[in-house]
Amino acid sequence: MAPANALPTDLDVLVIGTGAGGAPLLARLAQAGLKVAALEAGVRHPPEGIATDEVAQLGLFWTDERLSAGNDPVGFGRNNSGRGVGGSTLHYTAYTPRAQPDDLKLRTEFGQGEDWPLEFSELEPYYDELEYFLGVSGPENYPWGPQRKSSYRHPPLPLNGAARLMQKACAEIGMKTSPAANAALSRPQEQEGYGTRHTCTNRGFCQAGCSIGAKASMDVTFLALAESLGAQIVDGAQVTALTMKDGRVTGAEFMRGQELEHLSAKTVILAAGAVETPRLLLMNGLANSSGQVGRNFMAHVGMQVWGQVDDDLRPYKGIPGGLISEDTHRVPGLIGGYLLQSLGVMPVTYATQYARGTLKWGPELVQHLRGYNHVAGINVLGECLPYEHNYLELSDELDGRGLPKPRIHFSFGENEKKMNAHAEALMRDLWGRIGARDVWALPRAAHTLGTARMGADPETSVVNPFGRTHDIENLWICDNSTFTSSLSVNPALTQMALSLRTADALVEGLKQA
Amino acid sequence: MTTKEREAILAMLNSAHVTEPTRRALLERLNARYGHEFFDEVEFGRLRALAVRLVPHDPAEMDLAGTVDHRLIVGIGDGWRYADALPDGEAYRELLAALPEGFETLNGDAQDAAIPAVQSSHPHAFEDLLAELTEAFMAHPVTQYRFGYAGFADAPEWPHVGPNELEPREEAYGPR
Ligand SMILES: Cc1cc2nc3c(=O)[nH]c(=O)nc-3n(C[C@H](O)[C@H](O)[C@H](O)COP(=O)(O)OP(=O)(O)OC[C@H]3O[C@@H](n4cnc5c(N)ncnc54)[C@H](O)[C@@H]3O)c2cc1C
Ligand code: SF4
Repeated sequence: MAPANALPTDLDVLVIGTGAGGAPLLARLAQAGLKVAALEAGVRHPPEGIATDEVAQLGLFWTDERLSAGNDPVGFGRNNSGRGVGGSTLHYTAYTPRAQPDDLKLRTEFGQGEDWPLEFSELEPYYDELEYFLGVSGPENYPWGPQRKSSYRHPPLPLNGAARLMQKACAEIGMKTSPAANAALSRPQEQEGYGTRHTCTNRGFCQAGCSIGAKASMDVTFLALAESLGAQIVDGAQVTALTMKDGRVTGAEFMRGQELEHLSAKTVILAAGAVETPRLLLMNGLANSSGQVGRNFMAHVGMQVWGQVDDDLRPYKGIPGGLISEDTHRVPGLIGGYLLQSLGVMPVTYATQYARGTLKWGPELVQHLRGYNHVAGINVLGECLPYEHNYLELSDELDGRGLPKPRIHFSFGENEKKMNAHAEALMRDLWGRIGARDVWALPRAAHTLGTARMGADPETSVVNPFGRTHDIENLWICDNSTFTSSLSVNPALTQMALSLRTADALVEGLKQA
Repeated sequence: MTTKEREAILAMLNSAHVTEPTRRALLERLNARYGHEFFDEVEFGRLRALAVRLVPHDPAEMDLAGTVDHRLIVGIGDGWRYADALPDGEAYRELLAALPEGFETLNGDAQDAAIPAVQSSHPHAFEDLLAELTEAFMAHPVTQYRFGYAGFADAPEWPHVGPNELEPREEAYGPR
């Protein structure tokens, strides 16, 4: 731990959280010559200290207890929330599809859901920039969405067993597939501020952290760049309150070890993720004139179907999300759509999901797990609409720091139920075609989105289209909480695009002021 | 675990195929024994008996019940719990108390027959405990060896990832 007197002073911008939302803008603001620092609740996890073992890697996840309510309670921790210098990108699967233009216009297209207060054309240049900077590996011609300006920087990663089986099954029913885009290197890459990042060794443990820096987590990309440009990252520092004066935010109070400390800055950006950001705002009674803080919680439809085959597949090998199809981007009868992805899986994750998903026990359980090397998975990731009935609130139960634990209510609506049914039938059909046995389906929801949504109207949203809170001029939010709708793709790449866009808007505003 | 199994596991863990942080974690787990601090004698006896029925294993070679007790003492959870459930430790205590008198002394079949009732009266605690025991079981080096799982031996790369494309170290690991 750095001594307290090493804390930065005279900050232009203080960022809270160093994940997909906090990291890109930290680098961008440092690049623009601003004096910036970040407070991060978690600690540093250098690649060489990462074990190839899920239990040993639990420290990458946010394990403070959250209370899950509703008809379809969401699992947190390993399912969706990280903690550490790099945030959830330390354990994301690095699967980086772009949103499609119509994802941003659900209300226009269907009369339900919400439109984003921005256009695809505003995100596109950031997507281009990010895919190059992160070193995304992907196909030469990606078959869905608008024509890209250029191919991915690196060729696709090799397809593992599950990916090849999905390829075969989809071909039988005329579904188009493609190697996925992954922010993991199929060739070495020089990374400004970091050094050489090595080629992915196909160890399949992305969700427990990458031990060789092949995966574009924020620590080996944007945060390394930011630090090389003078940004300071204070780790092990959990913000417990924002400080205010005359309607402006003046900084943040945080706990480092047992110490309560304070950092002040001219501008504060909350990037603590879609549970901790609204929790902090609600605890402080801030930025909530709309009453929307904590509202519209969304979690992607994430049904998985698993089966076992005779082939020795070794599902721990290869990038876990190898093959994709976006042919189900629009399906008659559904609002929005979903994508399909092959799944590799680590043993403990598979085993606990099987136990929770089937509630099998005794010899039957062990017999099934014995077949782990033969497991193949396939899953979807699909639109979840914002609803009144899905929200985050503060409970009366206190955590170890004496702060209220968040309670998150989540129930699938009609559209998500229909999507689950459609997806399950499709995936069961596909896995039937490869001759899988012991096929079972796990209905689940993944990612935390939308508890401080962006919009043009201060009555119905928390932040403006660039991420500045409507209520407090120098308080911004940049993380998954600002998502207006869930999108039918994984969130990290779009989050990073929003982060760069917020940074550019902030710098532009400062120039004009 | 037989001597032969233990030797095979140690040989792999101590080989150059395993990175140092991975080796440290797995060696520690291979030998871990916890006993009980959170649960009292009676509760722990029931937990161990229940654990053996839920996830069949030999407590002498892997201490799954002790792992649960230890986790409750350390106080680190998995980041969430059902809003309408008691905190893990209390929930488990209630589940154990709901088992019939003398559960730990019943024979296996009688124990199995008693389990569905507590599963339906305490569904969340049952699910959480089952998942936690399954995790400890699957993460154990002995289980991994018996299931022929070699994914931790990744210090060299895995150049081949297609079906049936095994490296010699993968093929060799596990019962023949
Ligand atoms: C297992 C897994 C796999 C995933 N795979 C993919 C994938 O393949 N593709 C994809 O697009 N997305 C994936 N995601 C989701 C993706 O990682 C997130 O969408 C993204 O990282 C969210 O960015 P964020 O900035 O909102 O939050 P995070 O990245 O979670 O960052 C928030 C940071 O804030 C810190 N923080 C929180 N509260 C405080 C506080 N009070 N004080 C200080 N710091 C605080 C946290 O410790 C954390 O580091 C995955 C997630 C998980 C869990
Ligand atoms: S599969 Fe590749 S990117 Fe993922 S953890 Fe392994 S080496 Fe890193």
